[in-house]
Amino acid sequence: MPSQRDVRNRIASVQNIRTITRAMEMVAAARLRRAEQRIEALRPYAHALRRLTRQAAEAAGAVPSLPILTPHDSVQRVALLLIAGDRGLAGAFNSQIVRAGVAAGREHEAEGIQTLYFAAGRRPASSLSFRGLEPAAAFTGFSDRPSFVDARRIAERLMAAYVDGEVDRVDVFYNGYISPITQVVRRERILPVHEAAVIAGVGTEHDTLEEALSGEHKPGPKPLVEYEPDPDEILGRLVPDYVEVSIFRALLESTASEHGARMTAMRNASENAAVLIEDLTLEMNRARQAAITQEIMEVVAGAEGLG
Amino acid sequence: MAHTPFQVEILTPEGSVFDDKVEMVSTRTTVGEIGILANHTPLLAMLEPTELRLYVGEGEPLRFAQSEGYLQVGGNHAMLLVAEIHRPEELDAGALRERLSELDRELASAEPDSERHQLALGEQRRTQAFLRVAERTSGTR
Repeated sequence: MPSQRDVRNRIASVQNIRTITRAMEMVAAARLRRAEQRIEALRPYAHALRRLTRQAAEAAGAVPSLPILTPHDSVQRVALLLIAGDRGLAGAFNSQIVRAGVAAGREHEAEGIQTLYFAAGRRPASSLSFRGLEPAAAFTGFSDRPSFVDARRIAERLMAAYVDGEVDRVDVFYNGYISPITQVVRRERILPVHEAAVIAGVGTEHDTLEEALSGEHKPGPKPLVEYEPDPDEILGRLVPDYVEVSIFRALLESTASEHGARMTAMRNASENAAVLIEDLTLEMNRARQAAITQEIMEVVAGAEGLG
Repeated sequence: MAHTPFQVEILTPEGSVFDDKVEMVSTRTTVGEIGILANHTPLLAMLEPTELRLYVGEGEPLRFAQSEGYLQVGGNHAMLLVAEIHRPEELDAGALRERLSELDRELASAEPDSERHQLALGEQRRTQAFLRVAERTSGTR
């Protein structure tokens, strides 16, 4: 049976842990709010970009055949970008991305397709290396607060890999943010860009792309607009921008998910610590009572011996 | 002479940076330098990295270093969509110069016709434009 002092020490250390997990929970909650605001802040830009794309596409008549819009003849090498965090202590946040990515890689292998891994975040990078699946490139140091420049760097690396024939397809895995307690692993095709996704609605009645493209579209005479340079050329740059924004959105959602997952994990840890403290307090009281009983027995036994 | 003010909005992926009335916008498209005044004809232009100046009234214009982007003018309203925008005082000329020499190495190692080469060239143009803005700022002070 542990002595009273042992139990008291354990209570103190669990109390310390609870103080830390509580603080981490609070920090994660504050960062989560900021991450949510940044997802909101991206929306007007993304909408405006889509509006411009549609305007330019309508003026150009047809979408130019850009390399990133053209599927490769055969798919032999696939790039998988795994987006997760730089740090742990966030529940299943990091591991579920790595698990999903590695499972997808195995499936490709079974089909005779090679997989090239890319990692955004220290955790997926080190997990991949640990499994002997060295990533082709790792982008780290920004999972707390990714900037658009980070997203552009990743997007450019992937677009160069696609256009230069290093890979024939690019998929991304990230934690989609639903709520602080719910994050789902999402898999999205980034390259080749699906034409309809970029200029959804051109020449069709129904919009294929979510909210961003709904509304806004009013049939009727178009005002005469000057283009500098030709709409074709403008589209040539708008499409890569679309890829950059898609990756930026994935990074922002992943960041919100990370803070949400950490907040939830730390709240659970704090609750578990509270339960543990209760159990240990009970154990300590029992130990103290046992010691008292023991002493009384000794006194009684001594008194009897004298009598 | 004062010009009629009109609404100008600057949007970036990280939020709105500016949304107010100005008298003139001065920036650069792929075709060349451009100044936008009130009641400009509808326009959709592709912007190059350059110094963006907003003439709010009398006196010095507001200056920014701007990356590539788009300019849409219509209905007496101008919207600039730019990936990156910085106030001149936020720029670090030393870091930009360092990045430029890194890019030189990147350009030397990349195949001349590859996409990697193209993208490095794009970043070089952007970094050079930012550096010019940074140097002009430190020069005048």
